[in-house]
Amino acid sequence: MAINRFFICLFFVLLFPTMVTAFEWHIVPDKSSLHFKATQNNSPIKGEFKKFAGNIDFDQNALDKTHVEIEVDIASVSTSFKDVEDTLKTAEWFDVKSFPKAIFRATDFKKVGDKKYEAIGKLTLRDITLPLTLHFTFEKYTDKEVIVTGSAILKRTEFGVGQGEWKKTDAIKDSIDINFKIEAKR
Amino acid sequence: MIFKNTQNRFGFIAIVLHWLMALMMVGLIVIGLIMVRIPISLTKLQFYGWHKEWGMLVLMLVIVRLTWRLRNINPVLDAIPMWEELAARAVHWAFYFFMFALPITGWLITSSADLPVSFFGLFTFPNLISGNEANRLLFSTIHEWLGYALIATFCMHTGAALKHHFINKDNILRRMLWP
Repeated sequence: MAINRFFICLFFVLLFPTMVTAFEWHIVPDKSSLHFKATQNNSPIKGEFKKFAGNIDFDQNALDKTHVEIEVDIASVSTSFKDVEDTLKTAEWFDVKSFPKAIFRATDFKKVGDKKYEAIGKLTLRDITLPLTLHFTFEKYTDKEVIVTGSAILKRTEFGVGQGEWKKTDAIKDSIDINFKIEAKR
Repeated sequence: MIFKNTQNRFGFIAIVLHWLMALMMVGLIVIGLIMVRIPISLTKLQFYGWHKEWGMLVLMLVIVRLTWRLRNINPVLDAIPMWEELAARAVHWAFYFFMFALPITGWLITSSADLPVSFFGLFTFPNLISGNEANRLLFSTIHEWLGYALIATFCMHTGAALKHHFINKDNILRRMLWP
């Protein structure tokens, strides 16, 4: 019947895009942030990457279908003190010219508590790729919008951030705290 | 051992604070002049670290020193011309001004660079103001000129002390050496 066929068609037309994009979240750049904190002369030194983008396919009820890929524009590194920012861009640190992007990819997600998850993935920074685990919490999770805050810890020297004399970790410690907030819409 | 000042002599505490802080401030000036001129390196970072924490120690000690000074009598100056006495007192109070103003402007620089100061790894001083490049430049300029003024004041003070010791051959320098 024509009417039945119409409804079947309508059903698929409506369903098809939903199937493809059901778990796809779009980062809201203005409301998302990526900060880092290092230690120099025993005191904190903070900065952030102003630009990053990515693909997030996440469903808390289907973690096995989850896939996250975040690309960080290393040249967008920003600190209060311009000299620090300029130094971080040089070849001895991030080497922005040779390695303009850092990429984090993860497909392995675990629920570790109420609204708390772990993303076990790989971070490529400079020319080195190493495993990195993110810990994150949903501050908000609705069908239309999510707000996630999270953190990770990495060792800068493992990624070659700090060459030459900067490989020493007395004055600038090896451990770096990463903190992020992602607001995404569906 | 006389700890407190008397009518004619400086006490042990005043003498120790004088020489200890003199040594620290000379060190801070030397490190400060070098650190701003050398290229970015571990050495530069180390010098900045030292300059900041020792500068904060000066700020802490000057509070102790000022308290001590205000609670003590000051030894009378022997027969010297009125203008010399006025100049000597003015220079002393100028030093107190520098001992507060230099660390505080330094603290403001490092605060506006958002690089808080660790006190020898024991604790971290809070930032006085938030990060701001224009403020950093402003306080850097003030700090720099205060530093030059301190060097000038230091030369006057040291020159006068040496003149009294070697030319006038009076007791002025000697009484700051031992209680």
